[in-house]
Amino acid sequence: MKQEISALMDGELFEDDAGKVLDQLKRDSTTRKNWAAYHLIGDVLRQPDHIHSDLSAKIRERMRDEPALLVPRSNMANQKMRMFALSAVASLSAVGVVVWMSLQISPELAPQAAMHAANTQIQPSSENYLIAHEEFSPSTDMNGSASYIRTVSYGSDEAAPKKTPSEKQAK
Amino acid sequence: MKLRIALCGALLIVANAYAEERSSGLDWLEVAAFAGHQTDYSGVFVYQYGNHVETSNIVHINDAGGEYEKLESLDGPKREIIRHDGQVWSYINHQMVQIDSQQGHSRFPFLLPEQLSALNTNYQAKLLGQERVAGYNAQVILFQPKDNLRYTHKVWVHTDSGLLLKASVLGDKNQVAEQYAFTQLQIGGKIDRSWGGRCDLVDVHGKDSSNPPKSVKGITPTNSGWVADMLPVGFKKTMEILRSMHGKDAPVVQIVYSDGLSAISIFVEPNDGDEDDVDGLSSRGAVNLYHKVLNQYLITVVGEVPPHTVMQVVDSVRYNGK
Repeated sequence: MKQEISALMDGELFEDDAGKVLDQLKRDSTTRKNWAAYHLIGDVLRQPDHIHSDLSAKIRERMRDEPALLVPRSNMANQKMRMFALSAVASLSAVGVVVWMSLQISPELAPQAAMHAANTQIQPSSENYLIAHEEFSPSTDMNGSASYIRTVSYGSDEAAPKKTPSEKQAK
Repeated sequence: MKLRIALCGALLIVANAYAEERSSGLDWLEVAAFAGHQTDYSGVFVYQYGNHVETSNIVHINDAGGEYEKLESLDGPKREIIRHDGQVWSYINHQMVQIDSQQGHSRFPFLLPEQLSALNTNYQAKLLGQERVAGYNAQVILFQPKDNLRYTHKVWVHTDSGLLLKASVLGDKNQVAEQYAFTQLQIGGKIDRSWGGRCDLVDVHGKDSSNPPKSVKGITPTNSGWVADMLPVGFKKTMEILRSMHGKDAPVVQIVYSDGLSAISIFVEPNDGDEDDVDGLSSRGAVNLYHKVLNQYLITVVGEVPPHTVMQVVDSVRYNGK
C-alpha cells in the first residue's frame, strides 16, 4: 500500500489504480496517516528551511505529564531495552523511508549536477578549433555567420587576452 | 471486405501524410539553406546559452562580387567576423586577422542531396505550425533525433523568404542548450552598406597582399590514417584535410563527420605541451570540445553534439596507418 501511496503522490499511477488507492484513503485511517506523513517528508526534503517545529517544548510538556513509576529497577531496565529496540526499529524504517524518498527525488537532480560539473567554458585558446569546425558544419549552412558567434562569444572567464603566434614564439 | 479496403485506404492516407510531412520538413530546410546564402539581409539577433545572452548585428550581401557577411558583437568587448566566400577574418587585438581560408572551396551547393538523405535517416522531421518571430510569420519545424547521441533541433523559417529566423538546440528533457533568434530583421531592399561592405574587405585584402599572414597556407586533402571507431550511427565522413590553423606552427589534420544537421570534427596534431589546451571537456552552447593527449599527439574533438557523444568519439580515436 505504501508504495501505491507514493506512486499516487508522484502521479505515476494509472487511473483505475489511483481510484483504488483513493478509496482506501477514504476508508482507512492508517492509509490517511501514511499519506499525510509522506507529504510531510516530501515537504521537508524539498524545503527544509521553511519548516520550523520546535519539538523540545512539547517533549518537556509530555515528560512532565508522565506518571512517575515506582517499580523495581531490573524490570524497568528490561522494559527500557524493549522500548529502545522498538524505537530503533521505528527510526530505522523512518530512515528507510527518507532514503527511499530521496532516491525518488535524486534522479532528477543528479544529471543536472553532473552536467554543471562538466560545464567548463571553452577557453579562448581553443576558439581556433571552433572556427575551423564551424566552416564545415551544416549549422553554418543554416545559420550563416550567426553560428560563428559561438567562436567569438565572450564569457565571464574569458577576460584573458588572446595570444598571438608571435607572442608564443617569444616565450 | 469493404471494411478491409476502407482500412487499407485509411492506412495509405496516413502513410502518405506522414511521408509528406517528413519530406516537407526537409524541403523547408533546403529552402532555408538556399535563402540564407542568396538573400540580402541585415538585422540584429540574440544568441543565448545557459544564462548567457548576447546581441549581435549581422549583414549579409550576395552580389556579383560574391557572398559577404559581417558579424559584429554589440555587447561586451568588440568582436567582429567578416566572411567573403570561403575566407574568414576576425577582429583580434585591434586588427583584422585572416583566420581561415578555403581557396577553391565553393559554398554552393549547400546541403547536398546525400546530406539531406542522412538527415532523413537520423532525424524525424515534424511540422509544428506557424509562429511569429521578429514580426515575421514563420513555419516551425522540429527535428527529433532517433537516439540520445545528438540534440533535438527546432527551427523557425520565414514563410515568404525562407530565411531562418530562429533556431533552438534542445538537449535532455527539452532544455534549450542554445538559441539564436532575430529580434529585428530587414530582408532585401536597400541594405545599409555604410559599414564599409566591400570597402572594408578591400582594405583587408590590401593588407594581405603587402603582408600575407603566415598562418594561411590553405588546405590539402589527405589520408592521415587516423580513425574513430565509435561514431554515432549516421555520421559520415565529409572531408579529411591537412590544414594550417591560426596560432599553430605545425599543420593540423582535421576530419569532419556529419549526420546532416550537426557535425563532429576530429583534430590531430603533434602535442606541443601547450598548457593552454586544457585536458578534458569544455562547452559553449551546444558545442562541446574535448582535448586528449594520445602518445605524442593532441587529439581534439569538437561538435554540436551532447558531451557524452564527444567523449565517446575521443576515446575511440586511434592511428590505423602504417
